[in-house]
Amino acid sequence: MGRIKKFRLFTGSMLVAAALASPVLQAQETAKFALFHDFTKVYTFVADEISQGQRDYVTLINEEGGIKGYKFEALVRDHGNEPQRGIELYNRAREEGVVYYNFFSTPVSNAIVPRALQDKVVLGMPLTGRADAIVGEVFPYVFPMMATYWSQAARILQYIEESEGGLKGKKIAYVHIDSPFGREPIPIVDKLSRQKSFELRTFAYPSPGNEQSAVWSDVRRYRPDHVILWGAGNAQLVSIREAVRNGIDPAKMLSVVWLTETDMKNVGERTAIGIKRAEVVKPGRDHPIIQRILDKVYKAGKGAGPEERVGSSYYNYGVADMVVTFEGVKLALEKFGPPLTSEKLKLGLEMIRDLDTQGFMPPVTITEQDHQGGGYARVSQWDGKAWVPVSDWAAAFQDVVWEQARESAAKFNQTK
Amino acid sequence: MDFLFLLELFINGLNTGLMYSLVALGITMIYKASGVPNLAQGAMVMIAGYLLWATIALLGLPLWIAIPFVVVLMFLFGLAIERWLLRRMVGQPVLMIVMLTLGLEILLRGVGPGVFDAAPKRLDLGLGLAPLVVADVFINRAYLIGAISAGILILLAAAFFRTRLGTKLRAVSDDHVASWAVGISVERAIGISWGIAGVAAVGAGTLWGSVQGVDWTLSALLFPAIAVVILGGIDSLLGVFVGGIIVGVLGSVIPGYLDPIVGGGTRDVVTSVLIVLTILLRPYGIFGREDIERV
Repeated sequence: MGRIKKFRLFTGSMLVAAALASPVLQAQETAKFALFHDFTKVYTFVADEISQGQRDYVTLINEEGGIKGYKFEALVRDHGNEPQRGIELYNRAREEGVVYYNFFSTPVSNAIVPRALQDKVVLGMPLTGRADAIVGEVFPYVFPMMATYWSQAARILQYIEESEGGLKGKKIAYVHIDSPFGREPIPIVDKLSRQKSFELRTFAYPSPGNEQSAVWSDVRRYRPDHVILWGAGNAQLVSIREAVRNGIDPAKMLSVVWLTETDMKNVGERTAIGIKRAEVVKPGRDHPIIQRILDKVYKAGKGAGPEERVGSSYYNYGVADMVVTFEGVKLALEKFGPPLTSEKLKLGLEMIRDLDTQGFMPPVTITEQDHQGGGYARVSQWDGKAWVPVSDWAAAFQDVVWEQARESAAKFNQTK
Repeated sequence: MDFLFLLELFINGLNTGLMYSLVALGITMIYKASGVPNLAQGAMVMIAGYLLWATIALLGLPLWIAIPFVVVLMFLFGLAIERWLLRRMVGQPVLMIVMLTLGLEILLRGVGPGVFDAAPKRLDLGLGLAPLVVADVFINRAYLIGAISAGILILLAAAFFRTRLGTKLRAVSDDHVASWAVGISVERAIGISWGIAGVAAVGAGTLWGSVQGVDWTLSALLFPAIAVVILGGIDSLLGVFVGGIIVGVLGSVIPGYLDPIVGGGTRDVVTSVLIVLTILLRPYGIFGREDIERV
């Protein structure tokens, strides 16, 4: 056999081998998710648990064989709630070929938004970031995915309206940390106060909220029918303690999502029985998704943190973020096939219709126009041991929320 | 004007201010003994809070044993800071030493949550949440006890500086070289002052930790404590007491009336204005000693 013939045979057999091996290579394809957090500054109260939930769900998907030949890798890094560090991490992750980004920090996410839009990469912003990013036409690559703070505030007011037989004439105190996060829902609450004819008074306490006594003296004297709490971390604990010290009935208090089992244990489990909160994900372990994580991740010793955290409210928020994202991945790969890119993931997320999580989350529908997923939330109440739902999932006053969102998004469009 | 509201703001502000004094006490103790303004005191309060929580929750010790145990730990921690960090700075400009304490504050802020987990911790002293109601004025019981404790600790600190050891520390503060010349161990004296600041941090960490829980935000108490020492005079224990009351009362009463008008958040503005005005009008504070240097 001549040399040239030998070479051709060798080359041909290599090509055949490569062709045969390609499904194997495809099965080993890895997609990277950047699941960055503030582990060291402001969001420390939530970062560990949410990150653990995200990573455990990624491990679960991998343990179950991945999706359409893809395995997934969670890149976990600390940005310290600093936009500049966030941008540096973003640039590095871009070079590493990340397809999904979530910074879980309002200032960092907001700093990344223009870059994500320009680079056409998917930026998940559940429970953080710009509330107007629900407007898909203006923010095509940004996905809040769950009820924003505006929708949560609206749902809280709708709950009061339903349970009290109307809002007219009620006195509502809105007590908030004096930060962009604390002030964010005020335009919505204010609009609804005029629309529904209830009296609204806002009370701000300085960040980080470790001393609020003067504010709560004032709240007590205002004699509100209901108090809406808009804080996070230890500030929430101080708020509840001060409210109780001032004789305010916990059953009249309703909080943003940032109030969990851990917070209630720190306040004292029986200190504020009856307090309510907005909820966007079911807490606890009594759910097939969480049971799958316990069975396939923790029994295999592959958990990302302490097992006792599994099922906490914050942990489940992290899981929920990944549940929606992986649904988008699945739809994208089914429709467009590999390779998985951020552009395909965007389209996949926008194909999600009535995502059925068997009650883990409200039904999620994301469209090209609506990146909020429908804006559903419910209200749950602390019974001394656990959070018990006292309302159904519902999207409240979305006309007001979307009017505000479109107005704000239009301003963003003009200035970008 | 609602007099009862004003009275309530005044009393709760007074109590809160004295709680700030607890944090400020550590700064003054070190300054009086070594002439170093310690910007790591907020983080030391946080570390003391974490250690007390860990001693109770993880080691299972009862509160009455846990507190003296942590007092010893924090005294040793203060000594260690002096031995391993401050002693290396002998002969360096004061500004560099201040920067070192600031660096230490930032480091400890990260280390505390890193070691003990960032989630807020509960520190229950069994004080209950029921307020003390006097003539329709609601007085925060925890803050009242904190204020009384602060007063007692400040008196104890004043008494300490009249002891033989306290006199040595004051001498060291006045002049390191002269102290050496008369046989006082300057290093040991400064070490003891840091140890005592660690002990003062236990008082603040315990009481503040009980009212707000233990997490990194305890270190944010540094800001009002700085206002207290600037206003009262950084080398004056009486200044710590009076400065705390002024910062607390003004930080309660003014926002109580101003916040509803401007939309809130004026307490930090009040504190900042107090700092600026004091530095402009009376740089050594109300009771601070004005040093005159011959050139």
